[in-house]
Amino acid sequence: MQDKIRNIKDGMINAGYVCDDKTATVLYLAEALHKPLIVEGPAGVGKTGLAQAFSLMKNISLVRLQCYEGIDESKALYEWNYKRQLLHIQAVANKNIDVIEVEQDIFSENYLLRRPLLQSISSPAPTVLLIDEIDKVDFDFEAMLLELLSEYQMTIPELGTIKALNIPFVFLTSNATRELSEALKRRCLWLYLDFPNSEIEQQILLLKVPGITQLMAGKIAAVAHSIRQVELKKAPSIAEILDWASALLDMGIDDLDVETTLQTLTIIIKHREDAVKLEGMMRSRNDLSFQPSPTSNRGWR
Amino acid sequence: MSFLKMLQEFFADLRQEGIPITFSQVEDCCQALLLIDWSMEEYFYTALYSTLVKEHSHESAFANVYHRHFKPGTTEIMSQPQWSPPVYRESDLIEDISGYAIDALPVPGMQSMRGGLSQANRNPLDQNFGLANLDDVRKMETLYPLIARRLAARMIKKNRRNDQNIINYRSTMRHSMATGGVPLNIVTYKRHKEKPIIIALCDVSGSVMTFSCFALALLSSMQRFFRQLRTFAFIEDLDEITHLLSTGDPLNLRTSVLKGARRVMGVRGYTNYGATFMGFIQRYGHTLSPKTSVLIFGDARNNWNNDETWALDEIRKKSKRVYWFNPELGSNWPRGDSRMEVYRKCCHHSFSCPTLSKLEQAIGKL
Repeated sequence: MQDKIRNIKDGMINAGYVCDDKTATVLYLAEALHKPLIVEGPAGVGKTGLAQAFSLMKNISLVRLQCYEGIDESKALYEWNYKRQLLHIQAVANKNIDVIEVEQDIFSENYLLRRPLLQSISSPAPTVLLIDEIDKVDFDFEAMLLELLSEYQMTIPELGTIKALNIPFVFLTSNATRELSEALKRRCLWLYLDFPNSEIEQQILLLKVPGITQLMAGKIAAVAHSIRQVELKKAPSIAEILDWASALLDMGIDDLDVETTLQTLTIIIKHREDAVKLEGMMRSRNDLSFQPSPTSNRGWR
Repeated sequence: MSFLKMLQEFFADLRQEGIPITFSQVEDCCQALLLIDWSMEEYFYTALYSTLVKEHSHESAFANVYHRHFKPGTTEIMSQPQWSPPVYRESDLIEDISGYAIDALPVPGMQSMRGGLSQANRNPLDQNFGLANLDDVRKMETLYPLIARRLAARMIKKNRRNDQNIINYRSTMRHSMATGGVPLNIVTYKRHKEKPIIIALCDVSGSVMTFSCFALALLSSMQRFFRQLRTFAFIEDLDEITHLLSTGDPLNLRTSVLKGARRVMGVRGYTNYGATFMGFIQRYGHTLSPKTSVLIFGDARNNWNNDETWALDEIRKKSKRVYWFNPELGSNWPRGDSRMEVYRKCCHHSFSCPTLSKLEQAIGKL
């Protein structure tokens, strides 16, 4: 089984995503058990990227449903193209066509707008279904989703029941702003993606930023790791660290010191108070270890 | 001890720690175990983890229970079961695994240490403020951003404008042009809710230290949902600390408050609620208006000083709402020098919040 896991890891690296053993094992389990996978974690850690890389690796198409508050069936499942139907009715108004025939014509495949969920179920080839930010939807949408994920079939009143030809690989991502319903969690496997450690981050840098040296990748990964240990309003995400690395590469810098970091800090820090705090730490110790200086007051602990 | 029994004890322990395990999860877990190779400990752990743990705050408790039950190196000794088609009853499925693994388990290694449920294993969200030691506070600190985010999401939902309102005829007719004169979309007048003005009084003395620091941190993280937030700290006297909360650092607040607002300490350093309310009315009474809500965080232990309930009454008359958040359990309110029973009559609503999750719920009700 170890080589199966290694195959998955290598396949994901080919698709441009570095994952550790735990993630690869959970992917293997999700595929073998045919269960959806809930991926939780802080923002910018690669949850959406995981599904995208997985679909690249398996060489199947990705269907993405971006959820938001107030999303309903018509945006997620299907919708009839009312405007086109009305136009059709008005166009045939003067001709002598049987009413029943017009009606059947209107409620046919041409006038059905297939939204992501229906697309993934009714596609002849297997698909990867990515439901992004599921924690933003409200309760009734979740209930509808639950029904879909357990049966993989949908009933459209005018067309009939549509059953899934291939069960899609389902990924649900969440930022944990609220608790998902128990029933949904029970149906799925669960994975918490946290910020990676320095070695994995170094691998990601080497993979995604072509031309970067081993030394620089190592240093950037170490600095990123120590910045994340500091209590900030928003910790830098992986995408921001990648941008930072490519910016440094573009500027031709091959070593990290306090001055360069200060100049380019705005790429990874997006809040003024965080920037002030980190600057204070760097100046007081004059290095990039980001530890609280010995004179700072963390009194009552 | 058979593997069947061991798994069932493992599940029972997890349930006792507060991690709910349902029957379908047990089934998934067993199916996953049949699929993986048991020679590597990580695969075994991951199979259990992905099927049984569904929440980030359960992860540490799960790890503790796992290490209590499965000593390192035991999975290598268990022989790998052959794949068999899935069966549907819990005991049936576990029989399947245990049938293959039953000879391979050395008894001493498998005995799980039943060392009582220490405080360290409790979910940090349910940690009592008064009983928290340094380690527990650190754990609560790590979960603090999670709670801040959840509260923010809840407040956003509450402040969502009400869309079911009076129909805006002009807009509806205009939008109906797109659908051929048929009004398929109905447009309504959107009314925005007004954000409250909050005045918070926090007791920062030793007994309620952790509680008020967390409460202050949560309030300051929700600043954007209030039109205005003014915070005051008190022990024996009152002082405004709004300027100290502008930086987002949650738990160094107490030291910065005590350094920056020296008035708070007063003469003896014991909490005096009566003098505080009196001082508030006299010096800051003008800030109260029919739109302000006053939040008081404290345990109402007045150290046998004067009550001055008239001051609290005055505060209530001048403001819209007065809420009291008490970190003690409701049963402790009539005891000792706690003047809660007297003070709560002057409040519109009082909450008992001994744990972080209760505090989150209470603040969410604002």
